[in-house]
Amino acid sequence: MKTTFNSLLFILFFLPTIIIAQNTITGTVTEQSSSLPLPGVNVVVKGTNQGTATDFDGKYQLNASTGDVLEFSYVGYITKEVIYTSQTNINVTLSEDASQLDEVVIIGYGSVKKEDLTGSVDLVTSEDFNKGPVVSAQQLITGKIAGVSVTSGSGAPGDGQEIRIRGNGSLELNSNPLIVVDGIPLDGGGVGGSRNPLNLINPNDIESMTVLKDASATSIYGSRAANGVIMITTKKGKDSEFKFNINSSTTVHTPIDYVDVLTANEFRNVVNNHPGGDATTLSLLGNANTDWQDEIYTTAYGQDHSISALGAAFGIPMRLSVGYSSHDGILKRDNFSRTTASLNLSPSLFDDHLKIELNARGNYTENFFGNRGAIGSANTYDPTQPVYDATSPFGGYFSWIDSSTGLQPSLAGTNPVALLDLVDDKAEVRRLITNAKFNYKLHFFPDITATVNVGIDKSNSHGRTITSASIPTSDASWNGSRFTYKNESLNKLFDAYLTYNKSFNDVHNLNVVVGHSYQSFEYDNFNYDSEAEEDGNDFEFIDKSKNVLLSYFGRLNYDFNSKYLLTATLRADASSKLNANDRWGYFPSLALAWNMHKENFLKDSNVLNELKLRVGYGEVGNVNGLGDYLFLTRYTRSQSSANYQFGNTFYQTYRPDPLNENLRWEIGNTINIGMDYSMLNRRVSGSVNVYQKQTKDLIANASIDPFTNFGSRIQKNIGDMENRGIELALNVIPVKTDNFEWSINYNIAFNDNEITNLPFDQETGGISGGVGNNAQLNTEGQSPYSFYVFQQVYDNNGKPIEGAFVDRNGDNVINDSDKYIYKDPYADVIMGLNTNLTYKKWDLSIVTRANIGNYAYNNVASSNSYLNGIIPTTNNFLWNIHSDYLNTGFVSQSDERNFLSSHFVQEASFFKVDNITLGYTLDKAIKDTTLRFYGSVQNVATITDYDGLDPEITGGIDNGFYPRPRSFVMGVNIDF
Amino acid sequence: MKNIIKQIIFIVTISFFMASCHDDLDQNPIDPDSFTEQDVFANTIEAKSALAKLYASLALTGQNGGDDGAADIPDINQGFSQFTRMLFNLNELTTDHAVVGWGDPGLPDLHGQYWSAGNDFTGAMYLRLAQEVSFCNAFIKNASALTDPEAQSFIAEARFLRAYAYYNLIDLYANVPLVQEITTDLPSQSSRGELFNFVESELLDVQNLLLESNEYGRVDKVAAWALLSRLYLNAEVWTGTERFTDCVTFSNNVMNSSYEINTTDANANGTAYDELFLADNNTNGAEKEFIFLLSFDGVQSTTYGGTTFLVHGATGGSMDPTELGINGGWGGYRTTKALVEKFDANPGDQRAMFYTDGQNLEIESIPPFSQGYAITKFKNIDSNGDQGNDTSGEFVDTDIPLIRLAEIYLNYAEATLKGGAGGDLGIALNKINELRERAFGDTSGNISASDLDEDFILDERSRELYWEGQRRTDLVRYNYFTTSDYTWPFKGNQPNGTSVSSFRNIFPIPTNTISTNPNLQQNLGY
Repeated sequence: MKTTFNSLLFILFFLPTIIIAQNTITGTVTEQSSSLPLPGVNVVVKGTNQGTATDFDGKYQLNASTGDVLEFSYVGYITKEVIYTSQTNINVTLSEDASQLDEVVIIGYGSVKKEDLTGSVDLVTSEDFNKGPVVSAQQLITGKIAGVSVTSGSGAPGDGQEIRIRGNGSLELNSNPLIVVDGIPLDGGGVGGSRNPLNLINPNDIESMTVLKDASATSIYGSRAANGVIMITTKKGKDSEFKFNINSSTTVHTPIDYVDVLTANEFRNVVNNHPGGDATTLSLLGNANTDWQDEIYTTAYGQDHSISALGAAFGIPMRLSVGYSSHDGILKRDNFSRTTASLNLSPSLFDDHLKIELNARGNYTENFFGNRGAIGSANTYDPTQPVYDATSPFGGYFSWIDSSTGLQPSLAGTNPVALLDLVDDKAEVRRLITNAKFNYKLHFFPDITATVNVGIDKSNSHGRTITSASIPTSDASWNGSRFTYKNESLNKLFDAYLTYNKSFNDVHNLNVVVGHSYQSFEYDNFNYDSEAEEDGNDFEFIDKSKNVLLSYFGRLNYDFNSKYLLTATLRADASSKLNANDRWGYFPSLALAWNMHKENFLKDSNVLNELKLRVGYGEVGNVNGLGDYLFLTRYTRSQSSANYQFGNTFYQTYRPDPLNENLRWEIGNTINIGMDYSMLNRRVSGSVNVYQKQTKDLIANASIDPFTNFGSRIQKNIGDMENRGIELALNVIPVKTDNFEWSINYNIAFNDNEITNLPFDQETGGISGGVGNNAQLNTEGQSPYSFYVFQQVYDNNGKPIEGAFVDRNGDNVINDSDKYIYKDPYADVIMGLNTNLTYKKWDLSIVTRANIGNYAYNNVASSNSYLNGIIPTTNNFLWNIHSDYLNTGFVSQSDERNFLSSHFVQEASFFKVDNITLGYTLDKAIKDTTLRFYGSVQNVATITDYDGLDPEITGGIDNGFYPRPRSFVMGVNIDF
Repeated sequence: MKNIIKQIIFIVTISFFMASCHDDLDQNPIDPDSFTEQDVFANTIEAKSALAKLYASLALTGQNGGDDGAADIPDINQGFSQFTRMLFNLNELTTDHAVVGWGDPGLPDLHGQYWSAGNDFTGAMYLRLAQEVSFCNAFIKNASALTDPEAQSFIAEARFLRAYAYYNLIDLYANVPLVQEITTDLPSQSSRGELFNFVESELLDVQNLLLESNEYGRVDKVAAWALLSRLYLNAEVWTGTERFTDCVTFSNNVMNSSYEINTTDANANGTAYDELFLADNNTNGAEKEFIFLLSFDGVQSTTYGGTTFLVHGATGGSMDPTELGINGGWGGYRTTKALVEKFDANPGDQRAMFYTDGQNLEIESIPPFSQGYAITKFKNIDSNGDQGNDTSGEFVDTDIPLIRLAEIYLNYAEATLKGGAGGDLGIALNKINELRERAFGDTSGNISASDLDEDFILDERSRELYWEGQRRTDLVRYNYFTTSDYTWPFKGNQPNGTSVSSFRNIFPIPTNTISTNPNLQQNLGY
């Protein structure tokens, strides 16, 4: 298009109009990095319509007057200007403009130029992705985007991640953002046996990830996008000759640290001096020096390989990729292996009127889950006992023996190594996501494009947990057990929408999308329990459910010369989870933006490249995570182990379940004000956002008067919640020369999350220690999941006085009424600081993050640092305890108020160096091939005051945490 | 033209598609374990399973066995939420009969009598009883559509169970709402007197609707008489007006029925008392004495409450779990010397089932299991000494009598002593001696008329019915529960025992319930 326009200019040039005294200038335009001539470059006298284009040799010829500014521009290159002061020959080199390559951003049901965005949208492309060992897609953006926190659930390979965009949006319902892959929203819940549904996608297949943060950006996705949207776009074929990419790496994972428990000698010392011990107790001590955690963790290896081919075959652009990953976890026997394959075809027919996109992505994962029970057991097992014992009746593993039964005492712990070796927990997961998307630019009305997207997300998993007959047990009749499950889920999507694009007078640009979406989610789970079968009980359990979402949506995008932008959307959603009267929800949004840099007073600024002001308001409804049939009367049948006997027959029982006929949409609305800027030739850029996100009609498991329903609790729309915050992102390129480039990205987000309305308090955060104890509370005026504990009294040396708590209500009794809210697990500030250096062929990237103001409840210490915890009432085995005992001297674990002491709520602010990667690119060694060798360290360092194993714990309760390893990766990336 | 036709076809196809999608918004459960009201009350056979839930709701804790989930009451740990376990905690642990070494928040408060309004244990019982009322209300309404006579007796049983739930609500919480149908309107509180009248009229009604005799596990008309006997015995405490005459009348009805005291010493150990609490107490003769019971089975009716709780919870220290038929003890509950001393006068009384090896009679501090004698009253072995049905030794078979004939004898004696007309002290003495003969295995423990007074009856109730969920009600009736007239170790959280405020004669309404229903007022003192 542009070249045609320029040809026109060229012709105009010949028309005799007013001839101003002009001189002829000639010159050559070359490309900076290769020094090759650039044809087709526009050379224009700025402010006029005099111009030309370079020829195949990069040469041009132009007339201009002294003082004129010559502007050299070409798509994909940075425009250069030269003032003509009577040079006869002006040669110019143009360099690539990286920022223009991300000109187009994929948003819901369409794409838009970055400058035309009105919402708070962050784009991360494959160049910016975190390098290093990346098993799952979310790791690509950890620490990169302000306001987005990605926390891995544990150190297990491929484990789930908690992603939060701007804090928790909900109490009961899902607070996860919606993940959309090539237009297909993924089902958030994984099937049983899969660690994390995003494992489906090979990170090498991802072209870009767009994060939509505020309601005006997400509202087009409606109900499932209440907590933000992460849109993943995968690499597509190009109409060119085939290009291949091979990526191969090996990884070594090493354990970093263990929980502090007493060593064998410390333990002997404590037991020998234990006031509650007698001769029997002392006789239980062994002679070994076992570090149980050392016995269950080990250095682990992993590898990742993938190959992809991208190009066009038979005129159809396509991309094919195959990948294989296998990682052992640092917990022995733990392994995650995944094979992925993906194919996309994007043929274009009828002269580009019909564009078809066919995607198929398949994944086969095998998991061997190392027994997580070994982690808790290793923290409490007696370190003076050996791992193996030839005299043991249980497979040669040491075990405590109850002299009266000859078996393991029923309350004793089980040998951690036996737990690892004698339990096989395996699962295979297969998943297929395919979709076909048809974009038809109507022949009879080319301003309208009709799109139909049909997709299926199908997964099934098959798993089994087999426990050996020789595992230490107190059950005389034990002969092993087998528990199998099969889970299937099928989600269907049908989208149909019309897009209308029109420009009026070259100045008014209109884009309208109107459409309809249908989604259904169905799961079918089957469990088998061999123990129950042996008992003659029900042993097969089926669990099935289905829900349907239907929507109509419309969006209007209007801009005036790309200067003043407006986006308005309206969405009508219906869910089968709500009763017919409350089923439809209507959610509007409106956003305005002003590209200030296009205004006359800023257009010519040498400093400012881009300055956009945005303001947006939007509403989104949410029922994601709500039970499927809560408004209907349902009776649940008993399983056969809960039958009831009349006479000589056992009868199944039917129980009516609590219901709520009046469930409504939980509504989130967000106001966002933001500014995007870029200056100094795009060397400094970033954005600022201020937002307030409110959730109304919060769905919570509310208490009800038990005489009015079939139980004491039911989901109700009963509260309000708020998230307010500020996000800042700053990208600086301090140095950019031919040989050396250095860029820094800094992002910081403040978020304050508060429950603004909740008529009752809700205890949550179950902990281990006693039975049914909770350490957290949802209450009005506080952050959700705030810690709710007794206030510990300390002596003058800062040591806690056991059992002494502040009597906050002065009634001389320490009971429930003396608990108070003390801190919460959410950071007040989240920061990321990343830097990239490129020097000639070397590249270095460092990713760091910090969370400030988050607290964690150290449940490992709270449940197990009491002197009396060592000797059980039966005096026939011993428990090891946590080293915190050496600090506190706590004795009594039967006073369960000790578990809920504020002493165990500890500050967990941290600074982490997540990743350091060094690479070397070899591009001339083999013809047409680029090789990059890289080495990387993941989880390099953590700086924190927290006493527990890792300060980054989702949910804030630190218990039995599978530690994160430090990983060393070496790999090679080949493009040819 | 062609284009317009194309457009029309396009739009029409899309509309058809979308119309069918709209119907999909009406989803019904597809799970094979989920049923509608129509399914459940389609006929009497299905309805019997709904009736079974009304009983199971008191015996078990959810629709899955053990504490596997599908709990009825999510507010508290599933094992804790079972009815008789909570009844034990509220009616036995708060008295001289029991102490527990566990530190679950709120549990130590019970024996120490310093519970707050937010106490989990006092609260969960209210939820359990209210839920039972709701279940019964729904059943009564839905089953009334069924026409055959068997359904009528189901309905009578549901009314009995509802009356039983209200009986407990009156005893424990005093002023609760009286609700006879399922509604979402927030109910108002009724007074103890109004609730008493309701329970009385219901039981008087259903005594003629219940069957003469019924299969094991279900109630018959004798149960209605037995519950009336209890209700009238406590009438003075609950309504201010004594009803001892009515107590005598209905106790007589029960005593003249076909129920009898078990005298079969199936395991030949010298007394027929212990058979009442063995794993086969549904077949070894004990069943003739049980008027209203809850049945358990180690495989098919499993819970962590019930007798699983009683046997495991009371086993610890040096006790051999295999002798009790389980795989290990939880080391929690023991008793105070106040109960032990009631047997001092008569060493031959075999109801004194104490375990003393390694146990101190005196309690210096509550947490260690060795403080206080342990109790072996409930066991998971049968009359032959064999363990119950669960081979892993986890869940217990032994059934629990909620009302048994022995109690009625004691009601009769007490009501007669307190002036109930129609009562004969001679008969009362004979009945008491019947119990003592069973306990001693011979007549060496028999008493004479001069021994029979109110305090003796109270102590005899203790000896006969300890740990069966009655003690607090009895102490309140005698005005001993909170006063200094009778103290025991650690009453009021003092080692030698002290009095507490009289508002503690009843328990607080759960704070969550108060906050959801502004019509309710918390009980005085809380």
